[in-house]
Amino acid sequence: MNPARIKALAYKEWREILRDRLFLALAFILPVSMMLIFGYGIKLDVENLPFAVLDQDRTAMSRDYLHLFMDSRYFDYKGHVQSERELEPLLADSKIRFAIIVPPKFQENLKAGRPVAVQSLIDGTFPFRTSTSKGYVIAINNAFNGKLLAGFISRKMGIPPEQAAALAGPVKVQLRYLYNQEIKSIWSIAPSMMMFVLLMTPPFLTALGVVREKENGSIYNIYSSTVTRAEFLIGKLLPYLGISIINVIILWLMAVLVFAAPFKGDPLFFFPASVVYVSCTTSIGLLVSLFARTQVAAMMITVIVTIVPAVLYSGLLVPIASMDAASQFEAHLFPAMYYTDIALGSFLKGIGAGQLWGRVGALLFYSGVLWTASYLLFHKRVRS
Amino acid sequence: MSHSIWNSSGSIYLWWSRMAAMTGKELLQLARDTLLVLAVLYLFTFDIMMAGGVKMDLSKANVVVHDMDHSLASRELIYRFQPPYFQLGGEILDQNEGIRLLDRGEALVVLDIPPRFQHDLIQGRPTQVQVRIDTSNMVLGTLAASYSGQIIGQYGFDAALQRMGLTGEGLAAVPMLVDRHRVWYNPNQKDSWFMSISELLTVITVLAMMLPAAAAVREKERGTIEQLLVSPLTPVHILLPKVIAMTLVILLGTALSLTLVIKGIFHAPMKGSLPLFFAVTAMYTFDMSGLGLFISTMSRNLAQAAMMTIMIMMPIILLSGAWTPPEAMPAGIRQAMYISPLYYYIEVSYGILLKGAGIGILWDSLLGLGLLGSLVFGFGVWRFRRQFR
Repeated sequence: MNPARIKALAYKEWREILRDRLFLALAFILPVSMMLIFGYGIKLDVENLPFAVLDQDRTAMSRDYLHLFMDSRYFDYKGHVQSERELEPLLADSKIRFAIIVPPKFQENLKAGRPVAVQSLIDGTFPFRTSTSKGYVIAINNAFNGKLLAGFISRKMGIPPEQAAALAGPVKVQLRYLYNQEIKSIWSIAPSMMMFVLLMTPPFLTALGVVREKENGSIYNIYSSTVTRAEFLIGKLLPYLGISIINVIILWLMAVLVFAAPFKGDPLFFFPASVVYVSCTTSIGLLVSLFARTQVAAMMITVIVTIVPAVLYSGLLVPIASMDAASQFEAHLFPAMYYTDIALGSFLKGIGAGQLWGRVGALLFYSGVLWTASYLLFHKRVRS
Repeated sequence: MSHSIWNSSGSIYLWWSRMAAMTGKELLQLARDTLLVLAVLYLFTFDIMMAGGVKMDLSKANVVVHDMDHSLASRELIYRFQPPYFQLGGEILDQNEGIRLLDRGEALVVLDIPPRFQHDLIQGRPTQVQVRIDTSNMVLGTLAASYSGQIIGQYGFDAALQRMGLTGEGLAAVPMLVDRHRVWYNPNQKDSWFMSISELLTVITVLAMMLPAAAAVREKERGTIEQLLVSPLTPVHILLPKVIAMTLVILLGTALSLTLVIKGIFHAPMKGSLPLFFAVTAMYTFDMSGLGLFISTMSRNLAQAAMMTIMIMMPIILLSGAWTPPEAMPAGIRQAMYISPLYYYIEVSYGILLKGAGIGILWDSLLGLGLLGSLVFGFGVWRFRRQFR
């Protein structure tokens, strides 16, 4: 291993990047713009759900009940319909996500102390949204039931309504949201976005590095030179690793300054861990670039090994813990999951090397495997 | 007269035969890249299978209890945290142990029951139960909060009824709402239906942009575009076959993944008209390839094209409601969503595949898709033609 030769190769690669102005600009613009767009754009809060009502009773009581929905910030009232038949096309066209049907004699039955069934039709296409909206509907129904019971108790026992209300709802719930007190998605999204952007962009920087030389034929200069395999691979990777490390710092600053995500952890742990992570993700691109024959194929394979794991198997949208066994196994095969834990732990939970060393170890192992594979795959002799 | 008719029909024949030859060339070029063919096949089959296995629901989240009462009432409340959503992960003896478990991610919910819980219930004094939830993951956090709120609310309601002696006979006199919700289109709320279709739409978007962009830039990078330019081909002949070939490949892949994976493995119902779905997909692919061609005119090599595609594609995918509820987007982005072709394509696809909607219901989304698409495609072609001047 000759440092001078590595330096020369890295310098050559760096000159090539510098001369491709658009590529160089994109290498920095891409992560920043992705962070901005997704940081502001990805929201998992289920809010503004459009809904319609069918009120077959039209009494003071049914209006009171429906106002509980209309006044909620989670719902977006779209209007009344005249019959159940009108609801179907509205749901099918996604104009509304759910509908409430108040039956006739709603007030009469409730005043007489009879139970009344209230129907809700919920659009089931997106199960997460469905369970959340179902939860809202049930919560509103429970609140209304509490009121009904308080009224009943107060009438039956002849006590003032306030006292009856306390009797009707004896157990109060105090919910405390840890790590993310206002359940702001942005707080948990910003650290996850670092994971996401740093998995998506570095492989695309390196993915075309070697295969481009293969397709252009300039790789023969390397084949016929005294450069060894390891020197070539390291020299090829270093400039991209450098760009990615700069991006780590930029993204961290954005998370803290632009998105105001609290950083409670230890920077001296977080930064080295991040460098290990980007060395992992840049190596993914390098490996793809080594075994692809054409640039197009390299691009497609990079899409496969980055976008899908970044979105689905990283814990960004879908928690790993709630996956089935097979998916959990797959999630452990990608580096994204480990770094999500590191980023969320460092930002929101303020934990460090003590709890997270295992994750860093996994990433180190991962880049070791990628390196060995790249080394073994790269030959300086053309196979005929 | 007859001569000129023969002449024009001959030139029409020539026009089409050139078109067919160029389309054949594109398909052949694609087929010879074995790794690329395998990658495309993988995206349409295994990738969608993997996505379908992902669940966005709470399943057996660990609940740890800090019970300071140890009474019948507290135990009754604790045992309401049951699968499928929760499972009891044991008892802890002090407050700080709860924080430690939450820190390490070993518990999602910590339930604190105060001393004298049962005593207060019997006395009719309000009492308070504390629920601490790890909300570092939004999905789990919101669902856990919603479900545990429901459980405790119901427990309180039942306790109130019991205390008033309103059980059995007496209960019939209490006015009460009975919740009858019905979930349409996906009654068992199978995540696999949503996830696999979402993934298919994502794959179509990725390929529809990347393949034509790559095919066009490659000719530039290798210099073969010069050969095509000196041939009697018009820019349309160079351009359209790329788009047609890639659209064919994508339609074939879509058919494969619909029959093998989405219907075959996940048993999603294909309620609406499949020809309509394929027609819409072809239209959408055409639109997005216009965007791909636009990218190819901006870039000199594939590395640039790849970066630009990612930059344009990722916001389109993530902000159009493929993975997150589109209603919750902040106001500015929600408006931007209306100019994304994918937003309309998603609504139309779910409409046709899961909801069984036809043209009569979906016409406005289809119109949006058509208008936006022809705009995007026209722009892409215009840019591409201009670079030959």
